[in-house]
Amino acid sequence: MTVQTRLRAISRSNSFGLFVAILVFVAAFHLLANGFTSKVNVYSITRSIGIDGVIGLAMMTVLVTGGLNLALGAIGVCSAMGVGWALQTLGLPIWFSMLLGVLLGTALGAINGLIVVTTRLHSFVVTLATMSIFFGTMVLLSGSNGFNELPHSLTGFGRMRLFGMVSPLLLVMFVVAAVLFFIYRYTAFGREMLAAGANPFAAKLSGLPVERLFVSCHALCGGIGAIAGMMASLRNGAIVPSMAGPLGADWLLPAFLAPVLGGTLLAGGGISVLGAVLGTVFIAVISSGLYMLQLGEFWIQTALGLVLLGAILLERGRAALALARSTRR
Amino acid sequence: MRKFLRTDWLGLAVLIVLGGAALGIARPEFLTPYSIDVILVGFSLTVVVALGQGIIIAIGHMNLALGAIGCLVAVAFGGSMQFWGFPTWAAVLFGLAIGLACGFVNGWLTHKSGLTSFIVTLATLSIFKGASLGITEAQSFDGISDAVKAFGSDRWGPLPETLLVAVPIVIATWLFLGKMIPGRQMLAYGGNPAAAELSGISRGRIVILAHTLSGLFAAIAGMMTVARLQIATPTIGDEWLIASFAAPVIGGAVLSGGHLPVIGTCLGVLVIALINQALVLLAVDPFYVQVLLGLLILAAVGANRLREARLGTGPKLRLS
Repeated sequence: MTVQTRLRAISRSNSFGLFVAILVFVAAFHLLANGFTSKVNVYSITRSIGIDGVIGLAMMTVLVTGGLNLALGAIGVCSAMGVGWALQTLGLPIWFSMLLGVLLGTALGAINGLIVVTTRLHSFVVTLATMSIFFGTMVLLSGSNGFNELPHSLTGFGRMRLFGMVSPLLLVMFVVAAVLFFIYRYTAFGREMLAAGANPFAAKLSGLPVERLFVSCHALCGGIGAIAGMMASLRNGAIVPSMAGPLGADWLLPAFLAPVLGGTLLAGGGISVLGAVLGTVFIAVISSGLYMLQLGEFWIQTALGLVLLGAILLERGRAALALARSTRR
Repeated sequence: MRKFLRTDWLGLAVLIVLGGAALGIARPEFLTPYSIDVILVGFSLTVVVALGQGIIIAIGHMNLALGAIGCLVAVAFGGSMQFWGFPTWAAVLFGLAIGLACGFVNGWLTHKSGLTSFIVTLATLSIFKGASLGITEAQSFDGISDAVKAFGSDRWGPLPETLLVAVPIVIATWLFLGKMIPGRQMLAYGGNPAAAELSGISRGRIVILAHTLSGLFAAIAGMMTVARLQIATPTIGDEWLIASFAAPVIGGAVLSGGHLPVIGTCLGVLVIALINQALVLLAVDPFYVQVLLGLLILAAVGANRLREARLGTGPKLRLS
């Protein structure tokens, strides 16, 4: 590949388009919205990129299978509540409680995966049911009481400002993204998950344990969802059952927006870790910018829906254009 | 007779009768007129929501924006009466028009983009919901006309008036899917899109029609909820999603499309209404309803899958 063709490939990639769009919007908001690039605002943007980024990456790991996980928010909240219980009621050390939380999330994800694989039902209906079951059980066990006496070292970490304006939650997201990038790019396990998702039949015929790989994808999603749940609690300074909305459904939009904007295929087998991260940055910049322009909190939700719609239509149009160009030759 | 015994919904009907009888013995107040009234009102609202989703399930699509459309319609319905002084009939027409328009947008976008309805309706969900919250600034509209309030609380003999809207809708849906050409075409398309298109059924027409009807049902349910609550709040529709899928699935609908038992869906709605009422009477935490509904969905789809396996019609390997 010559330098020129490589440059052309990069300039046509989805991530490059997103990167340019982010730069354009940052510049525009810097000029139009007073205080968009202030330290306070940059801090709040990096914090939401951190949390929403991990939520998006969690969903991406299960989009790999061509399925989805509506129960992601419920798993995140359940795991965070588990951590709170271990910390506050049992008085376990922080690292051990967090480990338990991630294990709980992984187990709940694995339950989803096992049901999907054994019943061969679409993951939509399975996770619709488990979303209700997980969340309902958690509320019954906790009596809707949150945990608000978190250790100071934890809440201090959540409030920390690196260089006066960067939330440490952003770094957590980068670590998760780097680990996923490594798994999908360089390990046999990651490549096998992608192969199984791209074409389960072919993968099965080539001897891959497709069922087991799909359960792993769901378990991975649950584990990362647990991390996102803990990050969201750090932002709140407390762990409350309502932090992701009714049944954890408030996470759904960020969970799908980021990977889909980043070029992850809903049909399975195609992911982009970099794209998902850039997608999250894009959303955070737009939401924050519109907020600073005083559009009103509620209309931002409408704007994000329009962005999602616009992005997927644009992607369609570009794919059609590329096809037309290649067939003309 | 044998055909009757093999219907999807016979087991469900037996379950409802047995469950109702058991509850009536354990808690005699279950069979009082007041309690039955609560069940019937719950039934008439949920059945419209369930059929609104069912008609989309019939073509193998889904409509996540169902509740958001209901919410936007409820807000527009209440707002047009409170601020623009619309008479009741004009407000109803306005609400129906908004529902139809939202549904049409869903269908048109799904058809034109070739994307899955999941992602399109996820986007429009956020658009419609944001608009409802933005218009109301998260407040409620209480300038509802007396006629609407009366409709939500009045009786027609022993029956709540909301049932008088729900029953014709159920019958119309049953006739539409069972006897009319566009309805049959929708089911044919849902069962096998490729075969349906090859036999001359227009994909665009079917998809847009189904989504538009779904929008219409959401609009009716939204306005019925306003009548019931006597107030138009932007939280209407927030809790529709689970029930809208649970009822058709419990009734035997196939999520991949092609089959929507209308009677089964009604029984599924009745199961949900009974569970709700039973848990109120037994004074247990409302979150048990959530857990129980989730388990019921899993049990119902599991039972359907078992039946398919016995008949040898199930998918051989479908893992996603």
